Amino acid sequence: MLFNTIQFVFFLPLIVIFYYLIPQKYRWVLLLAGSYYFYMCWKVEYIFLILASTLIDYFSGIQIEKKKTKKGKLPFLILSLITNLGLLFAFKYFNFFSESFDLLFQKINISYQFPLFKVLLPVGISFYTFQTLSYTIDVYLGKQKAERHLGYFALYVSYFPQLVAGPIERFSRLTPQLKQYHKLSYKNIVNGLRLILYGLFIKMVIADNLAGIVDQIYSTPDNFSSLNIITGVFLYSFQIYGDFFGYSSIAIGSALMMGVNIMDNFKTPYLARNIAEFWQRWHISLSTWFRDYLYFPLGGNRVSQTRWLYNIFVVFVISGIWHGANWTFVFWGGLYGIVYIIEHIINKFSKPKFSQKSFSFGHIILALKTFVLVTLIWVFFRSQNLNEAFHIFGLMFKNIDVNTAELVVSSMVWIMVLIFILSDLILYNKRFDSWINKLSFPLRWSIYSFFVFSIIVFSGVDDFPFIYFQF
Amino acid sequence: MAVLKKIILRMSLLVLLLIPMNYIYKYFFLQQDLEKYSELINLVKQIPDDADIIYVAESSNITYRSNDQDKRYISEMLADYYTDLKVYDITKPAGHGGVYKVLLQNIPKTSKAKTIIVTLNLRSFNASWKNSVLETSLQKSLVLLKDYPPLFNRFMLSFKAYDIKNKKERERLIAKEWKSTTINFPYTAPYNNIFEWDLWMANNGFRDKNGKKDKKKVQLACSYIKAYGFQIDTNTNVRIKDFDDIVELAGERGWQLVFNLLPENTQTAEKLVGDDLIYLMEHNRRLLVDYYTSKGVIVIDNLNAVDSEEFVDQNWTTEHYAELGRKIIAEKIALKLEPVYPESFNEVTYTDEMKSIFLNNCDGNHVWGHSKTISNTGSYSGNYSSKTGKGNDYSISFEYPLSGIPDSLKNSISISLKAYQYSKEHKASLIVSAKSGKTSNYWKAFRLSSKLNEVNKWEDYKLTINITDKIKQSEMIKVYVLNKSNSIILIDDFLVEFN
Repeated sequence: MLFNTIQFVFFLPLIVIFYYLIPQKYRWVLLLAGSYYFYMCWKVEYIFLILASTLIDYFSGIQIEKKKTKKGKLPFLILSLITNLGLLFAFKYFNFFSESFDLLFQKINISYQFPLFKVLLPVGISFYTFQTLSYTIDVYLGKQKAERHLGYFALYVSYFPQLVAGPIERFSRLTPQLKQYHKLSYKNIVNGLRLILYGLFIKMVIADNLAGIVDQIYSTPDNFSSLNIITGVFLYSFQIYGDFFGYSSIAIGSALMMGVNIMDNFKTPYLARNIAEFWQRWHISLSTWFRDYLYFPLGGNRVSQTRWLYNIFVVFVISGIWHGANWTFVFWGGLYGIVYIIEHIINKFSKPKFSQKSFSFGHIILALKTFVLVTLIWVFFRSQNLNEAFHIFGLMFKNIDVNTAELVVSSMVWIMVLIFILSDLILYNKRFDSWINKLSFPLRWSIYSFFVFSIIVFSGVDDFPFIYFQF
Repeated sequence: MAVLKKIILRMSLLVLLLIPMNYIYKYFFLQQDLEKYSELINLVKQIPDDADIIYVAESSNITYRSNDQDKRYISEMLADYYTDLKVYDITKPAGHGGVYKVLLQNIPKTSKAKTIIVTLNLRSFNASWKNSVLETSLQKSLVLLKDYPPLFNRFMLSFKAYDIKNKKERERLIAKEWKSTTINFPYTAPYNNIFEWDLWMANNGFRDKNGKKDKKKVQLACSYIKAYGFQIDTNTNVRIKDFDDIVELAGERGWQLVFNLLPENTQTAEKLVGDDLIYLMEHNRRLLVDYYTSKGVIVIDNLNAVDSEEFVDQNWTTEHYAELGRKIIAEKIALKLEPVYPESFNEVTYTDEMKSIFLNNCDGNHVWGHSKTISNTGSYSGNYSSKTGKGNDYSISFEYPLSGIPDSLKNSISISLKAYQYSKEHKASLIVSAKSGKTSNYWKAFRLSSKLNEVNKWEDYKLTINITDKIKQSEMIKVYVLNKSNSIILIDDFLVEFN
């Protein structure tokens, strides 16, 4: 079930109404049943993967806690790691490795056909496996007590607002909130609805209208002029941001309606001054996951300079692979690692002499620089393969006189992009629900009306599922 | 309680705001949305209020065989019988009862139409058509046309409240129906459902002289089984519900409703699959005829009306008929309508009269190829012309069997047309080609630029070529303008004359 479909328009209110109608002790049953139904709307069979992951991690958690020694705990941690990473490998990466080895063997003249696993990638597999992995690792490290209630644990793994595309929550943050009694609160309902409204606007009006335009460029780039290609590449930055930020906002709003505060996943990332700051503002739940469970275990920054550079690069490359089983993602992650390191070195040797205060000239210049870099790196993320990515880069400079096709971007789309940029400037370090709360009633309702009208009337109507679902 | 009151108050305010929003949408945005997402509405809009008969169909109405001398639509042939009545068509390829229903709902109340003829296509009741990949876009195009407030319809479109499924999901549904629906023969058959039948045919089907499986024949037989191997259940088949709704709508609007049960290639079905399939086709035929006759609909039973060789597609199951087939259907409809319009009915006898002058001014009902290029961007005469360029590479195309031209007039062809160019940046050409089957005997391009000197002005283009022996020996001749550039050229008053 997608957030921007009529099914969800009915599903969420029903869940929220019943949530407040039934006694606290049964709420987890409602949420768990709702979450499983939500997931089974894609493909019923894949629920067994979530169930397997849930049962093994539930069991592993308890066993890890029971064992007194690290030696005793380790096999159960390994069981959890193998299960979750094994699922990820089988469903997401097996074909990638098969094809890559095929290619390698061809290069060295060995004729061997590696098998392919013909199966649809289960929606959100990277999200829920990482979420549940963080739990077993935390139990192993003694940071988290093992959950004895299977129902609440299953709900932690499958909680529908953030099941398929995050934010990737930690057990210690989410489960206590799920267990807590939440009284019907006007504030939570209204703030939740505000976030949902804003998220739908960003996803349906901005991202979905841009998707068709960007698709044209990436499907037949040779037909377009350099200017058109640059426009398409530029617009993709807003499409992917709108798509994922919109999703996260709806997810946070949906949970908030039931009194649960899910962590923010975005904080106006395109206003970041450098790549390091960008990653503190973009997909925050994933960045912090990699920080806690990969970067810190590798030694973080409490190591030699060379080792630190290595750590940074490894984290970015693995983050790239997490996004997708394709060399484009490896490249995408690797590029971020390289740019991060370069920026770090530059900053170390020449501190900028201008002010970097919010919205100062220095901030604007640096944010523009970061935005351009991120936009260019997105080309790898969007392309089907590396050849296509390099081809796009080539065409940005080569196709100056080409005009076989013309990229038509309506003024309405430009206006919406402008509104998106403006709203990011306004919401710098703020969240939409708290910002709008401070406005006068007429102004607030004018904004609501504009969003409602735009969502209904200006939404892109082609079927563009959320981009991050494929991860 | 206070919280609930606050929420309800704000919800009410939102509902109140939706009312002016609906009007804003209706008056400022609806039209462009209809053009963008529901082009189908144009099919309805083109029907004038004074139409007497409206013929609603899928591609069976407009498809012809390339060597047909008379390439007109079934609806146009029907009009031959009622010259003093205005017969119009609404043709939507891949359409079916669900689509027709919405289109008919959109016929304005001001319309004076008395008779609505709707094709009843047997295949549209089968699993493959019900779950066709074309359904998603068809259903999407219908959302804005539904009988609800425009803003509500747009909301449904934005939130994808229509039958939206991808190809794999649809294939799964088709396979599920083939597997799970039992076919009840009145005797014992070696198969109980389509899945088993298909498999049976694949294993036991046709063999060639050497005893090897005749794959082509088996595949065709299997496609017949999948197309016609079903029994309509009036309680569950979604098409029945659609046609029932049409019957109800016709009752409300006072229309005389006619269902035209389309001919199927029963001869090939019998030859390839045999009596079992014919039993099901006949069963469904009887059911539909009886069911809708009992509801007061005039049902024209054309199932067996057209011979196998009159089907355009011999290697697939379609309801596309060659000239004679279309004429037979038109005649059968016309005869059935005679009691409704006794004074307007004329006897029609088609003769094999040979023609030698062919003019298409883009305004009349001339069935030439690429008629989709006809637009109202500009015209030399009337309101329309053929718009070429920017992706529309071909203009309206004259295509005719040379056997239909008298031998005495097979000496030369004079071609004249009016052309309007917006710039000289094109290499558009007039193409004359002659073919026998797939073999090209003659192909020659004549640059338009050699005779067009000005831009933004209608100019004459004339050409005469001799009919060579190679052309004479060909089956078909074709004349059209080819414009692969991005520069638009309008073509009007396209005349081809054999001398």
